[in-house]
Amino acid sequence: MIKVLFFLIVSSIMVSAGDNGKIFPYKYENFTLDNGLKAILIPMKGSGIIAYYSVVRTGSRDEWEPGKSGFAHFFEHMMFRGTEKYPADMYDSIVTSIGADANAYTSSDLTVYHMKFASEDLETVMSIESDRFQFLRYTLEQFQTEAGAVYGEYRKNRTNPWSVVFEEMADMAYDKHTYKHTTMGFERDIKDMPNQYEYSLSFYNRYYRPSNVVLVVAGDFSSDKAKSLLNTYYGGWKPGYVAPQIDAEPEQKSFRKKEVQYEGKSLPLLLLSYKSDAFSSHNKNLLATIHIAELAFGSTSELYKKLVLNEQKVQFIGASPSENRDPGMFDIYTMIKDEKDIDYVLGEIEKTIEQFKNTPVDETRLSNLKKRGKYSFIMGLDNPNSVASSLPQFITATGGIEVIDEMYSELEKITSTDIQNAVKHYFKKEKSNLIILKGSK
Amino acid sequence: MKTIYCALLFIFSGILMFGSDNSNVVIKKSDNPIISIKIWFKTGWQDDPAVKKGLSFVTSQLLSEGGTKTLTYEKVLDYFFPLAADFSVSSSMEMTIVNARIHKDNLDAFYPVFIDHLLNPGFREEDLQRIKQNALNYIKTTLRYSSDEELGKAVLYNEIFKNTPYENIGAGSVSSIEGITLKDVQEYYLKYFNRSNYVLGISGAADEKLITTLQSDLGKLAAGSVNNYLPIKPSPINGFETVIVSKKAAATAISFGFPINVVRGSREWYALAIANSWLGEHRNSSSHLYQVIREKRGLNYGDYSYIENFPNGGRYQMPPANVSRRNQIFEIWIRPVPNETRHFSFRAAMRELQLLIDNGMSKEDYETTKKFLRNYVLHFAPSEDKQLAFALDDKFYGINGSHLQKFREMMSEITLEEVNAAIRKHLQYKSMKIVFITENAEKLKEDLINNKTSPIEYSSPKSQEILDEDKVIADYALPFNGGSVKIIAVEELFN
Repeated sequence: MIKVLFFLIVSSIMVSAGDNGKIFPYKYENFTLDNGLKAILIPMKGSGIIAYYSVVRTGSRDEWEPGKSGFAHFFEHMMFRGTEKYPADMYDSIVTSIGADANAYTSSDLTVYHMKFASEDLETVMSIESDRFQFLRYTLEQFQTEAGAVYGEYRKNRTNPWSVVFEEMADMAYDKHTYKHTTMGFERDIKDMPNQYEYSLSFYNRYYRPSNVVLVVAGDFSSDKAKSLLNTYYGGWKPGYVAPQIDAEPEQKSFRKKEVQYEGKSLPLLLLSYKSDAFSSHNKNLLATIHIAELAFGSTSELYKKLVLNEQKVQFIGASPSENRDPGMFDIYTMIKDEKDIDYVLGEIEKTIEQFKNTPVDETRLSNLKKRGKYSFIMGLDNPNSVASSLPQFITATGGIEVIDEMYSELEKITSTDIQNAVKHYFKKEKSNLIILKGSK
Repeated sequence: MKTIYCALLFIFSGILMFGSDNSNVVIKKSDNPIISIKIWFKTGWQDDPAVKKGLSFVTSQLLSEGGTKTLTYEKVLDYFFPLAADFSVSSSMEMTIVNARIHKDNLDAFYPVFIDHLLNPGFREEDLQRIKQNALNYIKTTLRYSSDEELGKAVLYNEIFKNTPYENIGAGSVSSIEGITLKDVQEYYLKYFNRSNYVLGISGAADEKLITTLQSDLGKLAAGSVNNYLPIKPSPINGFETVIVSKKAAATAISFGFPINVVRGSREWYALAIANSWLGEHRNSSSHLYQVIREKRGLNYGDYSYIENFPNGGRYQMPPANVSRRNQIFEIWIRPVPNETRHFSFRAAMRELQLLIDNGMSKEDYETTKKFLRNYVLHFAPSEDKQLAFALDDKFYGINGSHLQKFREMMSEITLEEVNAAIRKHLQYKSMKIVFITENAEKLKEDLINNKTSPIEYSSPKSQEILDEDKVIADYALPFNGGSVKIIAVEELFN
């Protein structure tokens, strides 16, 4: 059987966009244990593979105590340090022996542990994963060694000027909310991590609890078997989640700007961010910004054609809407070819925004965009891992994936008037933040 | 369940038979509504004329981002947009791939404009200028100043293949890119994008009509011949030939390696793959180098080894497809380490390589790694699109059947003796090219040629075992000599 696993394909369960009025093309089941742990089970017969995602709804957003920025990410590293039953060496050797692909990542809103493996190893994976979420153990020495690796990661990232831009933006745009620091954290806090052993234990005890974690199991398995294994391996996990005390961000009342001199060489980088809302499928203004990102700044926008293709003033330009759990920002970013054009490019961005406020967007473009959105989403879901990996941000923002169908259904209804209203609502000078990075000469 | 597997195996066997002959078509039909079309043109960076390095890269970019004779790139973007069509042309050393991915609902609208890109490319001056400018910016700013790890690898490959057609980072060099004209692009296109020089791959719910239309349309390409890949002969390496790229850098990126004379498909390659996976599986904590440098000592983010080219390793977890090349190198990649530990980290990696070569793999490590790879290979091509890409690579290497299937089968066949024989035959630790990207280059040069001791200090306590091993590493002697350590300022690269 193993011999053919590799060649099996998932095509038989793919359906066309729009069937049953829903866009998410797979049947799934929400299964919740008594302790509050929720699992989203998405059987995809025939793939031979399972993608297993443990989504912790804690990210750098939850680092609310002073001096503790970067801890969610650091903790992601510590989760590979083993338990009494499965010490790190044994955990690694089990993962290795089943040929699993295991890794993790952290963002501002979440920490995700993901693994891909052959279907026959589901029980093994549940056993080792459930154990580290309940009984993680590590020594002071292991903890301090890992702090060195995290600092190494920070140094690696700093060689990319964009990471400097986003770090500066977060620090400037936020006053109270924890989005003030990036996922890596402030450098001073990263340096101090080796001294925070006790705090790390408390972090685990408060956040790594069943009601704060959602599992996604996608691939070739039977739901009944999975549910029985979930009961066996996660049933004993004790509740105890303690919510972070995150300050709400006060309303921004004036434009903020900072020019950053980058030590290395770089073309000028520009990031213009407007304060936005938390992600919700019920917020029409916010949903409209998903369309605005493409209509105003995407590869088919007038601005893109002007600055990238015709005038060739910028290397690229793009935008991304807020998809955060708490109010995030709408980011417009570009790399400018010549320093003397910075003001011109900024002026063109501002002109575009004004134009969107004053003129309704072309209906054909809007309907083309909606069509594209649906097909892109479907085309991105062609194997168990691509399905599972598309879900964590929705899960952390809303607790489940029902929001996907809701969101696409609402996006379909957005009109050109809604777009105009949303631009007027969000894109106000006093809500904007500008970082300009210039490289050394 | 068993029936389904058997049925699918049967389908796959059909595909295998189709793909294993000498035809220029690989078809993997299924009922997947997402159709992939991949056309491999047998050309790449190696075919660039010496004074026009970057031509292959620029031409492929212009084919995908230059519109058609009737539609400008701008119009094409608008046209493809609602179709959610993926369309790109990617080039590597020996392969140029036209990639298209489209939902079957949108195929009819997509196809005519797609094929027009190949048959009637736009080739407009303004698009050429934009693409050249982007390539120049890539060299002048991104590669030189904000991507030290990729820079280290680019320099390593260029050093190993110096004065061969492989001495080419794709984007060529600043002066050669500046000199590329539309006439060069047109000549290159006519010479290599010809009707005898491609292999066509299709997967998904493609009907016979699509297959025959594609074949017939590709027959309208210019007449020409199959590209004759010339032999590549890297110069012998004399001891430790080292390049220190000098630039302001908070951390040091290190890459080193040497050519190997084995490619996938041969039994020896799979034997070597077991050893390589144990020593340095890409982005995997099972990598032994990772264990020694990152896990035990926390010096950096990861440490890996390769027997096949793996571009953009920082971005991808699983091996790429369609970057096949006949000449591969063995390569070790040390992710950025603090400057004060650069000498120590290099010594640590070299020592592990020597230990592997001198002692061979242990029975236990061999068993574990075989077991690991047998299932890990499952993740290399999870989608039909990627499976199709691998099938084209099989054509490149002349593998009858599937490399990935063979990879799994070989994990049951290859013996420990074969692994250790492959290590002894293909790996060595006496002659290699080494690249450091770092600051304070003169100091490093002196440290290296004088074999200066490189003790290490930690901010956290370490076990006695590690501390004892550190002493051995700190004085681990390496055969550097003054004449073979060059310092190059980053500004001087790729000019």
